[in-house]
Amino acid sequence: MVMTMSIEVPSDTYSVGDVMLPIDRIPVVQETALVKESLELMAHHHLGIVCVVGNNFHLDGLLTDGDVRRIILEVQKPFSALLADDTIIHSNRNPITIAADNSILDAVTVMEEQQIWDLPVVNLDGTLVGLFHLHPAVKVLLSKLNRT
Amino acid sequence: MNNVIVEVGNDTVGRISIGYGLPIVFIGGPCAIESRAHTFEMMERIGDICSRVGIQWIFKSSYDKDCRSSPNSFHGLGLEAGLEILRLARQEFRVPVNTDFSDASWGVATGEACDMIQVPAYLCRQTSILRAAAKTKLPVHLKKGQFMSPWNMKNSVRKIEAEGNKQILLTDRGSFFGYNQLVNDMTCFPTMAQTGYPVCFDATHSVQLPTSMGNISGGQREFIPSLVRAAAGCGINALFMEVHNDPPNALSDANTVLDIKYLEMILIQAKAVHEKRLELLNQYGDDDVHRSA
Repeated sequence: MVMTMSIEVPSDTYSVGDVMLPIDRIPVVQETALVKESLELMAHHHLGIVCVVGNNFHLDGLLTDGDVRRIILEVQKPFSALLADDTIIHSNRNPITIAADNSILDAVTVMEEQQIWDLPVVNLDGTLVGLFHLHPAVKVLLSKLNRT
Repeated sequence: MNNVIVEVGNDTVGRISIGYGLPIVFIGGPCAIESRAHTFEMMERIGDICSRVGIQWIFKSSYDKDCRSSPNSFHGLGLEAGLEILRLARQEFRVPVNTDFSDASWGVATGEACDMIQVPAYLCRQTSILRAAAKTKLPVHLKKGQFMSPWNMKNSVRKIEAEGNKQILLTDRGSFFGYNQLVNDMTCFPTMAQTGYPVCFDATHSVQLPTSMGNISGGQREFIPSLVRAAAGCGINALFMEVHNDPPNALSDANTVLDIKYLEMILIQAKAVHEKRLELLNQYGDDDVHRSA
């Protein structure tokens, strides 16, 4: 039997900026990084996403585990050629993002609507400042619940 | 990456631009510098042909042939004597000069004598050579090794870029097809062009049969014209051919070097096919039949 209960989650008291992963803890690459280098970085950070930046850390694209799955099924070139491609070639150049001052609830709502697990956090000018990843957000919420 | 225009030469020898949408450029000359008189004769005769055809060109010849099959083959006139001849010929005929080097310590001297520095195909992965070439600050003519995939040439490109040099011409000279045989994969050109740098077809080395004759390389130069037309139609920015007035007696690559009497006919065709391709490019745009809407 599944039990459900209604709880009040004070998520709107935390902003995305409070719980986002900082730049040095997420995969970030230049546009010309090889796909292979990006995959290695994703593995290193245990994240299924890599942020592709241009000058001044402007977020220019995003490559995710899901993109890689689709690429493997669609791209017909030799695997060694795919690994040597520039990451930007296969990236989503119009990624969904969120601002640091949005509430966690806003972020989770976007994630639910868009069926995505990570949200790059950017400034108004598009500069990448972090990554909103679901697990740290859940952890904050749970610790808050435990305290109340 | 944006399309890079490679600029070769200066006010003295003239400036030549190689790149996307520009006229095709010819790079050629005898494989090896044989003597001052021969170099001067070839430079003058090739120059006359290129003038008639209306094609800009860069002279190429080597002072040291370090990858000959046999220890008894002509190795070249050497660094000092060879570069002196190139200097004199360049000064006399006012033509940009391209030459290669096979020892990193020769990079500086070589760079001082020419307008474009070439990395031999067999050495295209050698970091010390690539660094030395890049440090001359000249445009680097980078040949794709016969053993390299076109996409993996990006690593060699990155080694040059790491030294601050972003003037690179990528050339295909065939890929090994089993032993003693080469094949041209025309997809090399659009693949290497994805680096943003212009691409070139080396027609005479492409018809080489590497060391097929026991201690020397053979060649099927009868395929040069058809391969040139194919490459120009596929999309190249420059054409490379080694040319000689007396192929049977050429001191290097005698079985592949093009007899100069055929040069004009081939350059005319290369130029015509290239111009038609540019016309089609303007009419229909870049090839993009795979990308979904």
